Amino acid sequence: MPRALPSWAIAGLSAALLLALWIGVTSGGLVRDLFLPGPRDLWDGLTELVQEGYKGRSILEHMGMSLLRVGAGFLTGAAVGTLLGLGMGFAPRLDAAASPFIEFLRPLPQLAYLVLLIVWLGIGESSKITMLFLAALPVAAVAARDGVRNVPSARLQTARALGASDWQVLRHVVLPSALPEVLIGARLAAGIVYGTLIAAEIIAGSNGIGWMIMDAGRFLRSDYVFAGIAMIGLAGIAIDRILVWVERRVVHWAGR
Amino acid sequence: MNGMGLTRRGALLGAGAGVLAARRAWAAAPPGVNIGFFTETKPTMVAKNLGWFEEGAGAKLAWTEMGSGADINTAITAGSCDIGLATGSVATAAAISQGLPLQLVGIVDNIGPGEDMTVRTAAGIKSPADFKGKKVATPFGSTSHFRLLGFLKTNGLTQRDVTVLDMKPAAIQAAWSRGEIDAAYVWPPARSKIAENGGTPLKTWDTLEKAGYVIADLIVVRTGFAQQYPDAVVGFLKAYDRALAMWQDKPEEAAVIVAKEAGVTPAVATADMKEYDFVPFREQAGPQWLGAPGVPGKFAQVLKSTADFLVEQRSIRNAPGLDAFQKAINTDFIRKAFG
Repeated sequence: MPRALPSWAIAGLSAALLLALWIGVTSGGLVRDLFLPGPRDLWDGLTELVQEGYKGRSILEHMGMSLLRVGAGFLTGAAVGTLLGLGMGFAPRLDAAASPFIEFLRPLPQLAYLVLLIVWLGIGESSKITMLFLAALPVAAVAARDGVRNVPSARLQTARALGASDWQVLRHVVLPSALPEVLIGARLAAGIVYGTLIAAEIIAGSNGIGWMIMDAGRFLRSDYVFAGIAMIGLAGIAIDRILVWVERRVVHWAGR
Repeated sequence: MNGMGLTRRGALLGAGAGVLAARRAWAAAPPGVNIGFFTETKPTMVAKNLGWFEEGAGAKLAWTEMGSGADINTAITAGSCDIGLATGSVATAAAISQGLPLQLVGIVDNIGPGEDMTVRTAAGIKSPADFKGKKVATPFGSTSHFRLLGFLKTNGLTQRDVTVLDMKPAAIQAAWSRGEIDAAYVWPPARSKIAENGGTPLKTWDTLEKAGYVIADLIVVRTGFAQQYPDAVVGFLKAYDRALAMWQDKPEEAAVIVAKEAGVTPAVATADMKEYDFVPFREQAGPQWLGAPGVPGKFAQVLKSTADFLVEQRSIRNAPGLDAFQKAINTDFIRKAFG
């Protein structure tokens, strides 16, 4: 039996294969640069963006604005969602009261209420961040609620039998047991917030990496579009890695 | 509205079956035509509503409402749109520069005063200098955006002096009602709605037009479609010409139909349509507009300078020479229909 390849080698190979395919297809003139820019075009577009910025703003400014929005929407949405979800898992009455709204909000496409957000909150940052907040909240809430619900009842009963108060049960049994699912919920929420970014930046934009991708796409400037996608994709991976790192640090006991 | 369209289409298919059969006998009619369009207050809506386009093209039409002329470009490139109805000259100039597979076959209107600046009366904007520090919204990539950038440039203003916001017409109306933007460069019906809602028109189009910022709405056809089904294109142009004649002869009747399609009152439809300069097809195949074989039209130069401006804005990479724009204009269909 051949020795199994380590997963990083497989990841590297698949990236190399894609790169070779990309170079082959674009350099042979098989597709027009409008549809798929070659590595050279993409590099030129990327350096142009870095050196000259896009429509009056540097690329760092665009990226920074987007990350700020994602950060604010994610942190507020995940925090409120988690608190709400913990409460829902702990108190069936709260669950009954809040569930319909959470279930309604969760699958709702954010573009559906875009104009409403503008009318209510205006075109500034608050409407954009609210949209991201609303995207994160239900995901985090459902994960936290399920985390609490999935705490083995034997653990709860044992704690109560040993004379623990409600607060002690929550603090020492429920929270540690639910935390792994809460953090998985946070990762899911981060992904969804990130995915909603472009929709949020449709609201009266003239900055942000999501807006830049859309604006460049209007006239098929596919080099800028691909450069933007590359930036947003890499930043997305970085955010996810950070959350995984936090997860490992905080809930090292998960699965044990 | 969709359901109504379907029944209308059904009725028309029944009534026009004879016509269709006759057509098929001498010319290959397309099995179906994909039209990219915008809901707007123009005679095009008359021809759409009364089924004239369908009759003229001799085929079933699939109407898709587009968000912008750029969307029409993308759809044509992907082969999922055959005719772009009243797409903007800015998007078309970009398309020709990028060598997209489309031809310009006719002009619907010279936009002229149809798209212009509206300022919030309370913002106290009287002259270009008053725009400093103000927020102006426009749908990016549109003919209005092009004019607005021209307005800033000719008045020595930069996008650091004025905050230019990218908003769709519906979003402009929403933000306007909250008093969040000071001005907007947009087309009707959004333009008339914000004007009613505490806005004052600020005339910029005449000086801008003289400075070369000419904008127009055009009919573009996917090159493959134009080659394969020339008769459908001719019939389509004739249908629009009939609608334009109706607007000129029986304006009240036309306005009622346009109003129904656009969701405005007939009075608003009439007022909007009076703003546009609808150029009759018979005048287009001359040096003043699109030209004819051996007689280059002025419009190619309009497209060329639009494209050069887009390159300056880094919206497109580069613009070809004037001849590329002349080649992309095809007046065969107009001359066949009205010659």
